[in-house]
Order: sequence, then structure tokens, then C-alpha cells
Amino acid sequence: MVFAITGIVTVLMFVEYFFFPQDWIVASTVRNWSVIILNISLGLGAVRLIMQHVMGTQRRRENWQFSALFLVAFVIMLFTGLAGYLSTGVATSNSVYNWLFNHVYTALGATTYAITGFYIFSAAYRAFRARNVDASLMLIAGCFVILSNAPVGEVIWSGIPAIGEWFRFVGQVPGMRVFGIVGALGTIAYGFRALLGKERGFYAGGAED
Amino acid sequence: MSGQNIFDKLQNIDRKVFYWVLFITLCVPFMFPLALPIKVVKNTSDLYDGVTGANIEPGDIALINFGYGVSAWSECAPGIAVCTKALFREGARIVFMGSHYDVELTYNKLRSDAAADFAGKTYGEDYVFLGYFTGGESAIAQLATDAWTVYPEDHFRTKVSDIPLMKDFHGWEDIALVLSSDTGDVGSYFLRQWQGAHGTLLAEIGIAMNGSTDYPYYLAGNYFGLSIGSRGGAELEVLIGEPGEATTSMDSINASHILIVIAVILANVGYIVQRRKA
Amino acid sequence: MAIIVTGRVMTFILLILTFAAMYYYMNLGKKGKIFKIRTLPAIQAIPEAVGRAAEMGQPVMWTPGIAGGLNDATQGPQTLAAISILEYVTEECVKAGVKIAALCPLPDALPLVEETMRTAYTAQGKPEEFNDEFIRFFSGQSAYMTGTLGYLQRERPASTILVGGFYYEAVIIAEGGNTIGAMQIGGTNNTHQMPFLVATCDYMLLAEELYAAGAAISGNPDALGSIKGEDMIKFLIVAITGVGFLLGAAGITFIADLLGM
Repeated sequence: MVFAITGIVTVLMFVEYFFFPQDWIVASTVRNWSVIILNISLGLGAVRLIMQHVMGTQRRRENWQFSALFLVAFVIMLFTGLAGYLSTGVATSNSVYNWLFNHVYTALGATTYAITGFYIFSAAYRAFRARNVDASLMLIAGCFVILSNAPVGEVIWSGIPAIGEWFRFVGQVPGMRVFGIVGALGTIAYGFRALLGKERGFYAGGAED
Repeated sequence: MSGQNIFDKLQNIDRKVFYWVLFITLCVPFMFPLALPIKVVKNTSDLYDGVTGANIEPGDIALINFGYGVSAWSECAPGIAVCTKALFREGARIVFMGSHYDVELTYNKLRSDAAADFAGKTYGEDYVFLGYFTGGESAIAQLATDAWTVYPEDHFRTKVSDIPLMKDFHGWEDIALVLSSDTGDVGSYFLRQWQGAHGTLLAEIGIAMNGSTDYPYYLAGNYFGLSIGSRGGAELEVLIGEPGEATTSMDSINASHILIVIAVILANVGYIVQRRKA
Repeated sequence: MAIIVTGRVMTFILLILTFAAMYYYMNLGKKGKIFKIRTLPAIQAIPEAVGRAAEMGQPVMWTPGIAGGLNDATQGPQTLAAISILEYVTEECVKAGVKIAALCPLPDALPLVEETMRTAYTAQGKPEEFNDEFIRFFSGQSAYMTGTLGYLQRERPASTILVGGFYYEAVIIAEGGNTIGAMQIGGTNNTHQMPFLVATCDYMLLAEELYAAGAAISGNPDALGSIKGEDMIKFLIVAITGVGFLLGAAGITFIADLLGM
């Protein structure tokens, strides 16, 4: 069944892309269905999350207090959002919802993004070691590219931006192009195997052998 | 730890020390700004020329996608603010949309960053905010062929049929150019479904992490311009002549970049000396 | 009126050629021809990773990254390829008696993850040992990152398998794994995250290796044949690029015009 649906949808998308310069109503309808299915899956995730944390709280597992806190936060956001939506038609019209979203959720999200810089720093410190010729070349190129990306590079030495640009054009961009092309071929090959029922991941372990 | 000489220690500096040094290094420039000159690179100047030159005429509609959340404001918001100002000053009309769940916050920030330019414009006629959409690439493909099915209402729940600007926007043919600013793949959706399929002019205002991935598309001509990270935002602020948040953050970027290079050099000094001794 | 949309003719021809090449070699594989592909160190390292976890009495963690929503043309296949690897990892874990945790931030992939793990446990004859609490869902990127970091700090898995479509959480999760000394196997097709995973992981599946992993693990001759077909098309692309470059340098744009048809 999954196999048949996959095949039919693939053919529809192919036909639309190659044979219809404008939108084809059949393919367009199928795309709309995929959007609807995706949105339903968001609810699936929410249900699983609730089940996971309700069970954790009921069974008093380790750190069950955090599960309880999650459930409280979930209920508050759900009901305040619904209250805003039901009263004005816009979920973000509720002041409690807005306050929690703007001052708690987004602030925490921005903080976790900021952690990236620190972790990249420690990863670079650990990874950039001149263990062999290749690693040494990467180290030198990396330093030039890092400094050329910041205005201070030009202040240190006027040649840094030029060398950094050279590394980018000669090394980085062709490398990214290569990965882009081979990655695309790999995706096509994976899709072809999935179409023929050979990919286990696609069929959740139930593929033909 | 005993028996470790200075070169061993250089290779194994505790990450907590680094994190504190980095934190302090990032804070100091805000108190003592260096204000180093910012050189504008070609990809950014092409982007700015693209939104101010022959690509856009008064009355044309530009589509701006907020594909970034609050966490990426420092990298993407300045560039979007500059481009919005530039487009408004060219007389363009703008459709704002978003693929990130906190798109309303991002829109409000843009309203505040470009307040003077928004003040002279009328919502619904000069600009419209369609809000958040789900559906990924399917929705972007659908937007190109029938925008009203993706957005039957704007973010404030006004039917698009009641919005004057939206009467002129049904699909890709009605859009002069697209600016996508994202932390992920939404730019590539527009690349495939708008630029690749229909030849729509497209530019990307992306985070620094995606710069190396986006660059080949700029060189190939798929993007008419590219702004990379906070530095790109600072360059755009130089071009429009209005220094802002990105320019302010350049000093911290300078400091952190130098610190990374120093840390790597120290680690390698320790490593090379120890290896020679062994 | 053109049958194929203008500007997409060459794409169509190349795609048909690609499918034909893969189908041809898959058929050869079915008929008994043996195709050898180079060993993928990351796949070879999976039993070692599971063995390490068994010795240390710690679990194995698998996570596919948040980028790989199944409706995405380039990210979805990465998640599906990661799920193929999950099946193999789960089977090895069941054989070794090691716990496995699947930390999944993608609601649309959850049913596939659950079914894959259940099938793996059943295939090893231990369906009763499967518990859907092995699978944890996190909604949103920030929750996923912090939840995974918390899991790493609390449970201290001996090995982590970070394969799939990643955004910037890759460097955070991988560095978190390094903090606890875990053996890390990474894999992604997202070029913007490859450098971070290469710097932080012990073994890495780069770009198409992630997609080839499923075929390499199963060892099916026809699946391996598709990789051979893919390689043939790569040679064709290299040849076209080389000839196009030389002709272009001579001012002849025949190849560029042909590809733009």
C-alpha cells in the first residue's frame, strides 16, 4: 500500500514538473494533502509528548518534577492560546500567552543559539591540530578564512582578506559544489531504491530484501 | 596533572576557562568600541544594487520571507531592515511572510527597526504581513502558482480578497524579486520552486553558518546577491549609510575571531613542541 | 508546442539516464553479479560503538537532527537514511544486550522510528524487550538541543549516532557528546553542518555515504548495484563538466547551451 502510494505520488510530481509549465490541479491537490498530513503529525508529536510526561509523573520516575512542570507549562500555553484565538481569532492576542512567549520561550531560544558560539570555539580548539600535512593545511586555511571574515583581518595585514578569499574560491566553494552534486545524486539514488521498495528506512524495516 | 609542563597545559586548557575568556572578550567591545572600517564585498553590494537598481520599479511587489527566529535576529534582522528600507524608498510594495513560528515577533522588530519608512506606508496597500505558513517546500511551490491557497487570510485574519495589494499578487509572475532570510533551507525551497522553475530574481540574507553553502549559488547566478551573517548586515548598513545593530556587533565579532585564532595557535604550539620532544 | 517544459529537457534526459543506469546495474546484481563498494568506516564502527557501550554498561544514543522533516525534498531522505541506520544499530544493541535511546525531534518520523525499532527487536526474537519509552520526542529546536544535552549529561551514553539532517544543533549535541567522552558517529548531507560534525565526531558519513549506508549495511546485490549505477552517472557528469570546461575556455558554449535546454 505504501509502495503503491509512493509510486503514484512520484509519477504525479514528475509529470507535473516536466510536462506542465503551469500548475497541474492533480499534483497541486496532492501537495495540499501533504501539507495537511504534516500538520496532523504535529498533533501526533504533542500526544506522544503528553503521554511520555504523564507516565513519567505518574510513576514518579527520576526527575519527574520536570515532567510535571512541562505538563503545567503545556496546559498554560494551550489554554491561553486557545483563549486568545476564541476571543479574537488570533492566538497571540492573549496577554499571558504573549508574555510567556516573548519573555520566556524566545529568550530561552536565543540563549541556546548563543551557546553555539562557545561550542564552536571549543570544537575548533580541539579539532584544529597540525597532526599531519592535511590537517596543517586545513589549519592554515581556516585561520585565514576566519580572519578574512572579520574586519580586523584587514587591519592586521592587508593581505589577509585576499588570501582568505582565495581559499574560499579555490577550496571552499568547489568543495561545497562537489558535496552538493554528489549529495543530490545520492538523494536520487536513495529515492530510486525507495521507489523500488529496497530501502528499509522508508518502509520502517519492512522493505523487500 | 602533576608532571604536566606548560606545553601540555596549552594543549589541554579547560573549556570553562575558554568560555569565560570568550564571554569577557565579547562584552568588552560593547564598552570600548573599536569601530574598525568595514569593507563591503561584492556579494553584498550586488544584493544592495539588486534591491535599489533596475530590478525594482515603483509599484513592483517584492516578497520577503522571514525564515529566522529570535535567535538569529543578530545575523539576519539588520540585513532585512536595510533591504526593506531600500525597497520602500524605491517605491516598491512588500509582501512579508514567514516560515518560523515566532514570525510575528520578527515582523514587529522589523517595524521598529524601519519605523520611519513604515510610517509613510499604508498597510494593505504598500505592504502586507501574511504571517506563518506550514508545509515546507510544498507550500512554497504552491505559493508560486496560487498564493491565495497558501494564504487565504493575512496574519490579522483579513481575507486576502479584501487586501488591495493581494489583488495584485497571485503567483510568481506578480513578484519582481524575492528576498529570503533564513537559518535553514527555506532559501533553497525558493531556489528550486521560484528561481529554478520560473526564473524569479532571488537573493539570500543568511546566517554565517550557511554562507559557504549559499556561495556557490551566488557565483552560479541563482542568487543575485548574498548577505552572510552579521558582517553582511553591517556591510548593508554601510551601503545605506545608516549604521545599526550589525555595525555595533562587528567589534565583538572581531574580538571573538582573534581569540579563536589565538587559541588554535596556542594549542598547536603546545602540540608541536610536545611532539618534537617525544 | 514542446512536450517537455522548456528549460527542463536536459534535466529529464539526465534523470532518465540515471534511473536507467541504476536499474541496469540493479538487475545485474539480482542476476548474481557482485558489486564491491569501498568500506564505510562509520558503518564498520557501529559494532565497535555498541561493544563499547556493552563494556561500559551505558546506553547508545541515536538522533536524526531536526532538519529532516519528511515533506522536505532534500532533508526528508536524510531522516529516512538515518532510520535505516537505526534499524541496524538497534539490532546490534539487542544482540549485545545494550539499551538504545532514540531522541527524535520530528513528529512525522516518530511512527517510522517506533516501527523500525519494534521490527528490529522482533527480528532478534525479543519483541517483549521493546519499550516505546526508548523513543523520546522533543518539540522545537531549542527543546531538542537542551533535552539532548540533558540526556547526555544524565545518562552518559557510551556511544552516540548523530545521523540525518541537522541544523546548528549538530555542533552543540556533538560537542556535548565530546564532553562526556562518548564515541561519536556522525553523518549528514547538509553541507553547512558537515564541518562541525567532522570536527567533533570520531567517524563520519559524508553526503552520499549517508544514503549508501542502508545499501552497504544490507549488502543486497541489487541495492549495491544502484550505487554502481550512481557512480557511472558521476563519471558522466565529470566528463560533461570537463568537456564543457575545455570548450567554454575556447569560447564554445555548446555544452552549457545543451545543459540549459
